[in-house]
Amino acid sequence: MSKTMIEVNDVTMRFHMNTDRILSLKEFVTTALRGKLAFQDFTALNHVSFTVKKGETVGLIGHNGAGKSTMLKVISGILEPTKGKVTTHGNIVPMLELGSGFDFDLTGRENIYLNGAILGYSEEFLKAKYDEIVEFSELGDFIEMPIRNYSSGMLARLAFSVAAEVQPEILIVDEILSVGDANFQEKSRKRMMELMSGGTTVLFVSHNLEQIREMCSKVVWLEHGTVQMVGDTKEVCDAYEKS
Amino acid sequence: MQNREYIKTKKLKEMQENPRFLKRVLIGIFAFYCAFVVLFYFLTGDQLIYRESRGEQEMPAATAGTVELYQGSDVTQYFMTGVQRLDSVSVLWGTYYRANAGTVTVELLRTDTGEVLMSGQFAAVDIPEGGTTTIYAQQPIEGLPGVELALHITADSAPGEAVSPLMDAENPSTGGLWLNGEQTTGLLCFSTAGTDYIRAGLHYWQLVSIVGAVLLAVLVFAWNRYQRGRQDILAEAILAVKKYRFLIKQLVSRDFKTKYKRSVLGVFWSFLNPLLTMIVQYFIFSTIFKSDIEYYPAYLLVGIVSFNFFNEACGMGLMSIIGNSGLITKVYMPKYIYPLTRVMSSVVNLAISLIPLIIVSMFTGVHFRKSALLALYFLVCLILFTLGVVLLLSAAMVFFRDVQFLWNVISMIWMYATPLFYPETILPDQFKFVLQINPLYHIIKAERTCILGGVSPDPVVYVQCLLMALAALLIGALVFKKTQNKFVLYL
Repeated sequence: MSKTMIEVNDVTMRFHMNTDRILSLKEFVTTALRGKLAFQDFTALNHVSFTVKKGETVGLIGHNGAGKSTMLKVISGILEPTKGKVTTHGNIVPMLELGSGFDFDLTGRENIYLNGAILGYSEEFLKAKYDEIVEFSELGDFIEMPIRNYSSGMLARLAFSVAAEVQPEILIVDEILSVGDANFQEKSRKRMMELMSGGTTVLFVSHNLEQIREMCSKVVWLEHGTVQMVGDTKEVCDAYEKS
Repeated sequence: MQNREYIKTKKLKEMQENPRFLKRVLIGIFAFYCAFVVLFYFLTGDQLIYRESRGEQEMPAATAGTVELYQGSDVTQYFMTGVQRLDSVSVLWGTYYRANAGTVTVELLRTDTGEVLMSGQFAAVDIPEGGTTTIYAQQPIEGLPGVELALHITADSAPGEAVSPLMDAENPSTGGLWLNGEQTTGLLCFSTAGTDYIRAGLHYWQLVSIVGAVLLAVLVFAWNRYQRGRQDILAEAILAVKKYRFLIKQLVSRDFKTKYKRSVLGVFWSFLNPLLTMIVQYFIFSTIFKSDIEYYPAYLLVGIVSFNFFNEACGMGLMSIIGNSGLITKVYMPKYIYPLTRVMSSVVNLAISLIPLIIVSMFTGVHFRKSALLALYFLVCLILFTLGVVLLLSAAMVFFRDVQFLWNVISMIWMYATPLFYPETILPDQFKFVLQINPLYHIIKAERTCILGGVSPDPVVYVQCLLMALAALLIGALVFKKTQNKFVLYL
């Protein structure tokens, strides 16, 4: 019954980076001439393997720089792993940071379509879902206004509504559950729960262990690019807290 | 739960739709090619088969008179011509600055058969000092290259009221100039005009059939590979367009909506902008260049519209990757979508700015012929070329942020290196090479020939422009493809 949705197979991500980011031609030429064009290998992920089954909510925990965000980027296909392979089944929808897929000169309505398109949804699907999205966002008539006039809370609600209302197969959440007022937070938390019980696979990155404990069915603990521990939420969280 | 079902049905639908879509597009491509080939044949007309001959004799500068051409005297110039289809021969006259009388007869003969190819009679009184008379062939005469020809001139005037053909005494003619039966050094002042065959044009249908067959083979091959479930670049590219067309549509409409969102005149600016630039340039440069250039306002507009498109697309496309860094680091989608949509937004703008071009052309008396439609071909070349440059620039911009400042300078130089407001003839010879290596010059010149000249350019220009555009596109796409995986690290 439970199908494998994400399979991370021995993934190594190595960055071959300049020691300092050289962003101008002049800098590049001068440092190259001085022979100081030093490259440094940085291994962000080191032979990481785990699988996520359909309907699971998997939390990714770890200290800063452990490779959580890199892991998410590799899974969503933004970064190509140096070695290893990631196989995903189903569409991946990242819950975008506030406003990153939005255009501030467009109205809320236009932004819903724009954002929906960016997240990979088709036109007819968005048309069918449009009313639900607006309703969930509680924006009412403001939806026809350019979103540069929105308050930050309104923006957050719009962003969350677009990502959550469309019910993706795999949802990637990178610490953005704390948007809006208490009321909306509660509503979005409930919505997340609904999604999870509805069969959406969720990848969840948070430093908030309480949230992880409450929502996740499985936890992957990354440390310095390697998997420290995978398994039951309670076990891993307890071990993590001790460390 | 209806969503889940939706997604399932969506997948099923995709599986059914994709082959159908692919088939439709592949057939569409071939149908488009066939339609284009036929349309091209009718639009280019005679220009496809003939071009102005390269073997024409230019009128030499006159340095002396020949003989006074009265009854009984004759002037004969023997020559060979490189013109494959000879239309006309002109002769330059001197009058001794007096009123003359009588009739002059100009004949062109083949020396081997003595056959008169063309002839004409002119009243001497009508010939002004330094005037020319031209004899025409009823049908273009073929088969002349390699044959010795004689231009034989006689008259029935009385001495003292006869005209004289002029000659260039310093030019030793190869064929020989005979005055009253005596050979003289010098070349008669005459010119020939005609057309040559274009070999590619003569075999047009054979050529397009071969290209068509190759195209068909490629399409069938792609279809077969797709059917057998193998990876095929062409099939994948087409399906990617299907998959992302809604996104592309949204991004283009975003660019377009936000561009003029807070302006009062809105879209009207796309229309007004080239018009105003044209008016300003017209007033500044008209006194300098006007006399040299026909339809100067339309001449300006063709250049402005084309170059503005290029400049705008590149200027904005430059930022298309780093400007969308927020999305690129969060959502997966093919990265070429960003520069592509940027160029497409500019194409919408280009389409709108064609309206003032058409209006101004009509008002300034340009006769639109069917060849004007061929300008669209060159616009497509321009778009492909621009896309290539934008891909290159947007990728370079990620790694070196100086590119935008460098580009400001380059685009300025490029603007002056393209004859937008000046005629190309004012360039000194040692700088002519700048035009030759400038693809925009070739494209804009061809557009002007189509729209203002009313004729199709030489067929070789079509191939030249397409090759330049495809080369730019190929280089841009390769650089972009090679570097795109590293973008995320530098954003």
